[in-house]
Amino acid sequence: MNSFSVQRRLSLLILSVLVAVLIWLAPSDMDAAEMTGESDHDMPVTYDDHVAAILKRHCWQCHGESKQEAGINLASYADVAGSDELVVAGRSSASRLLEIILAEDPVERMPPENDPLPKEQIALIKAWIDSGLRENSGSKVEKNRGIEFRPTAMTDLEDGPLPMPEGLSPVAPRETLRPFPVIALASSPRAPLVAIGSYERVELIHTETQETIGLLAFPEGEPHVLQFSRSGRLLMVAGGRPVQNGVSVLFDVQTGKRLAEMGDETDVVIAADISPDERRIAIGGSGRVVKILSTETGAVLHTLVKHTDWVTAVAFSPDGSLLASADRVGNIHLWDGENGGVIRPLAEHKASVTALAWRSDSKLLASSGEDGLIVWWDVAKGWPLFSKPKAHPPKRPAGVYGEIPNGVLDLRFGPAGELVSCGRDQKVRVWASDAKETKVVRIENDESNANIQILPLQSVLTFDGATAITGDSAGILHSHAVK
Amino acid sequence: MRSLLIGMTGWLIAAAAVTASDQVAEADTPSFRRDVMPVFFRAGCNAGSCHGAASGKDGFMLSLFGYDPKGDYHRTVNEMVGRRVNTAIPEQSLLLLKSTGDVTHTGGKLFDEDSEYYQTLYRWIAAGAPDDSDSVPETVEVILSKQRFLFEEKGAKDRLRVGAVANDGSKRLVTSLARFHSNNESVATIDDNGNVTAVGPGDTYVFARYSRFTIGAEVIVLPPAEGFQWPDPPATNYIDELVFDRLQKLRITPSELCDDETFLRRVTLDLAGRTPTVEEYEAFVNGDRDRTAKIDELLADDEFADLWTALWAEQLRIVGGNYAPAATHVKAAMSFYEWIRKQMRSGRPLNEFVEEMVVASGSNLTNGPANLYTMMVHGPRFEPKAFAADFSQVFLGVQIQCAECHNHPFDRWTQDDYYSFVSFFAGMKRKPGVEPRERRIFYDTSTPPMKHVVDQRPMPARVLGGIEPVSSDGDPRKELARWLTSPDNEMFSRNIANRIWAQLLGTGIVEPVDDIRVSNPPVNGPLLDALSKRLVESGFDLRTLVRDICNSRVYQLSIQPNASNYGDTRQFSHAHLRRLRADVLLDSVATATGMNASFPGFANGTRAINYFPIVGGDTGGPNYGTPFFKTFGRSSRATVCACETNTQPTLSQTLHLAVGETVQKRLWAGGEIKKLVASKDTPEQILDELFVRALSRQPTQDEIAALVEAVGESKNDPSVYEDIFWGLFNSTEFSFNH
Repeated sequence: MNSFSVQRRLSLLILSVLVAVLIWLAPSDMDAAEMTGESDHDMPVTYDDHVAAILKRHCWQCHGESKQEAGINLASYADVAGSDELVVAGRSSASRLLEIILAEDPVERMPPENDPLPKEQIALIKAWIDSGLRENSGSKVEKNRGIEFRPTAMTDLEDGPLPMPEGLSPVAPRETLRPFPVIALASSPRAPLVAIGSYERVELIHTETQETIGLLAFPEGEPHVLQFSRSGRLLMVAGGRPVQNGVSVLFDVQTGKRLAEMGDETDVVIAADISPDERRIAIGGSGRVVKILSTETGAVLHTLVKHTDWVTAVAFSPDGSLLASADRVGNIHLWDGENGGVIRPLAEHKASVTALAWRSDSKLLASSGEDGLIVWWDVAKGWPLFSKPKAHPPKRPAGVYGEIPNGVLDLRFGPAGELVSCGRDQKVRVWASDAKETKVVRIENDESNANIQILPLQSVLTFDGATAITGDSAGILHSHAVK
Repeated sequence: MRSLLIGMTGWLIAAAAVTASDQVAEADTPSFRRDVMPVFFRAGCNAGSCHGAASGKDGFMLSLFGYDPKGDYHRTVNEMVGRRVNTAIPEQSLLLLKSTGDVTHTGGKLFDEDSEYYQTLYRWIAAGAPDDSDSVPETVEVILSKQRFLFEEKGAKDRLRVGAVANDGSKRLVTSLARFHSNNESVATIDDNGNVTAVGPGDTYVFARYSRFTIGAEVIVLPPAEGFQWPDPPATNYIDELVFDRLQKLRITPSELCDDETFLRRVTLDLAGRTPTVEEYEAFVNGDRDRTAKIDELLADDEFADLWTALWAEQLRIVGGNYAPAATHVKAAMSFYEWIRKQMRSGRPLNEFVEEMVVASGSNLTNGPANLYTMMVHGPRFEPKAFAADFSQVFLGVQIQCAECHNHPFDRWTQDDYYSFVSFFAGMKRKPGVEPRERRIFYDTSTPPMKHVVDQRPMPARVLGGIEPVSSDGDPRKELARWLTSPDNEMFSRNIANRIWAQLLGTGIVEPVDDIRVSNPPVNGPLLDALSKRLVESGFDLRTLVRDICNSRVYQLSIQPNASNYGDTRQFSHAHLRRLRADVLLDSVATATGMNASFPGFANGTRAINYFPIVGGDTGGPNYGTPFFKTFGRSSRATVCACETNTQPTLSQTLHLAVGETVQKRLWAGGEIKKLVASKDTPEQILDELFVRALSRQPTQDEIAALVEAVGESKNDPSVYEDIFWGLFNSTEFSFNH
């Protein structure tokens, strides 16, 4: 077995103030304190620019799209400003919204069982009401969120140079106590390139030279899902900050340019995929719904309601005709990839589904779960072609009885229909196209602290199927030759 | 095979800091079990209404009060890597953001960033959120700074501090990690910091909970000393000494002794299970009125044994069915009932009585005591868990069933205790015998012990509170019986003593009698100790303890309260009104009217106290026997709970006595009243006897005057006296023991 180690290129890490500022120009989840500065000037206070961010952070969890406590939804301008019950234009003293956040009795005050909102934020809401409930500044119409984005024509797919990053702008370093666990990892379908999620950034690594060849800033928080488009030209980065915000961003792989931002969620995006024609993305998370959004306008095209728990994985079939989604209690649903119509459920998992992966012919879907199961599904019929229980069985330590966590944490297909998976047994396993296991590698624990278990969280095969790349919970990447 | 390591961006930048923190990690890294889980406990994260619920809350599940540390660690750290705990940017961990209310949290804000709770969690996460090594010290004892608070006035304050002792001998102060509660907030309150405040006169306990321990301190808030003078009543025996000692401390003046008529009625109801007859009344009132002799006379009578047979039969849920898949055939019920009666009549020591049942095997039709395993839990199949729970409730007064799913939150019992205890019954088998009604009871020695619900560990049989499993020759019940009924087992003797006391005084020293736990301490500990000791020294003799109690001045106190003790409901400073049990009530009506009841399946003239339910079909569901018993709340045998016998008044009871056939039929039948009228000369004489029959006392001058007027000219008309007699049965005085 051939293995080797590399040094990363450090030059990219050099802090450049100028470039960092440019990167930060991308809209981010600014906090309200910064906005108060603006409101003192001539810019009017508006729902879109100021109030929505405050309501999102403090209220939407219970009064938003997925849950409407007391029948109140604060997640759209129309719902907030549409009637006199919550706010009365020009009269903050008669507005229930202000009354309830200012209430002195902690039992009555919102948000419940918490400190009152910061004074600046209350002042902003008051100013917004008193200045007449503006929706946005001026006559601005719906934002074209994907203004610079045009989908790749399918005929262009095999043309042109390999989509590899070239001369990407540096990204300001973000100090962390230790490396962020690799919860997001993707391999380009056409190039020797993997993308790794780190805290507030994505790292692009050349799989042959093992060098970091580019960084993408993701100030929205933690990338939770990375996915190259079928052309390899785009990288979708979905994530956010848990229980604070969730978003999905498209980057141009070659230039590192931010092309579009989609989704405005109250919790981190846990599951996401981009359609093969690059026109749509699907996202899901703790809100229990799957949303299909347009990459061109950012608009929500379809909201798929069937899951009863967090959505943990979504995946478009490579031909774009189907969308699979899975949740934390083990349900998988198949939908029409175009219009979101219900196709059929796939029932086999008894615990959270951790990953979904399509084989390139769109006929076969694989799923993995915390129940230790890997299932190869016949999509047309809706039943398992092959099911592998205890796919990643951990060794039972002496004197330990009962269930020990044996979940499969990730799986992906390679170009030849082979599958790579990793799990709580600390192993990476490769399965041939006939579901026979062909390779097992163990990810070793950090010997300096035996009480911190290192888990392989994500594993992918490179575009040529030659190498398995695995990211672990200590933020380390492992590379293993497969062929 | 070597793996290639590619470090991440943050790695190099943070490398120096990580190395530095690793070096000091050993010394001051908080431990998950020792430091982090107590924060979950104190902040309420793992409470039943939050993440400690069976399925957790909002997808995050912690074991209730932390019974499963290994699982809690997995779910906190590894279930969703990077989310709940973020070791790269600790302050972004949801664990911290949620508990400080920085992000939306259904449970609200729990503590501030500058609190020690936040600091503990932060430091643990910053150290990489490590699991514990195998050798983490475990808390083995929790101690309090004070055992007792005595407050002279309302509003007075004091502080309770809590310490924890670990199995490595180390001690530490855990006041800020403990949870506190008061058993009676109208006497004293305790806040989150252990500050105790006196609220009003009385006595109660405040409790601290930490780890799996609950420990209490007594709080006494005294009424004003002004105007209180201890009357120093004479003490008959140790019972009086201990109760009066307590009353004097609490500045409560006991009531006076009750009069002889009241005593006679009270003691006859309590020991014979019925009101006194006219002959008994006259013999006592016109004799030397020797209370001690009367008690001895009643104790010697079979009626006393019958009453206690009924009480045991109720506890052991004896019920008979004609078609009995649950092994509860009438014949088995009869054989069990008669065996108990024999033990009670012969004065068998109670420990031997219990021991024989516990180890019993053989045919349920011929070996009465073996029916412990068919009657106490009715069911087509023997269920060790249900049986063990009821077993401990009946014989120890302890409810361990909480510990099936989690450690008992307010007592000392852990899941280990529970499953080890259930293992005593794991091998109990009931096989069909030679005839369909029969079951052969035996212990299958090849049965493996129970498995722990959390990790499936085998849990060999171990007595409650024991450390090592028992060694047995295959049937561990012998060891169980030996431990259970041993004079050294205070749990057993205190339970029996408390139940005897409750039967005679109306309430237990621990109440309810079948919920003895750390957080429900006795209202007079020394009294319960003394009764328990006396029971053991007497060779577990029921009659000795009953004799002591009935001879005490405390038992014989009047129901009439005084200015000092009218508010006392728990320190036995006066007698309490007690409604008659259904069977005692019926037997009292029968005694007064001279007309016995008859019950299907039992010989004519059977007393209600000797009746147990016999049903036509199977024995599932509540079985009262007759509608009268249902109306008046006799035990239905549905559970072993002491609350099954219900003496709460209901409207249907009043209606039943007023217009139902129980009283009415007896007044007309047999011509008793007619004979009475014929045998007496004056209305006064007739009225006297009616009063003695129903209420065991002479009518007052006012009552006589009013009733003579009511009788008027109809001096010889029995129906007038029937009406008066009916009125007496419907008086509250009749249906109470007072």
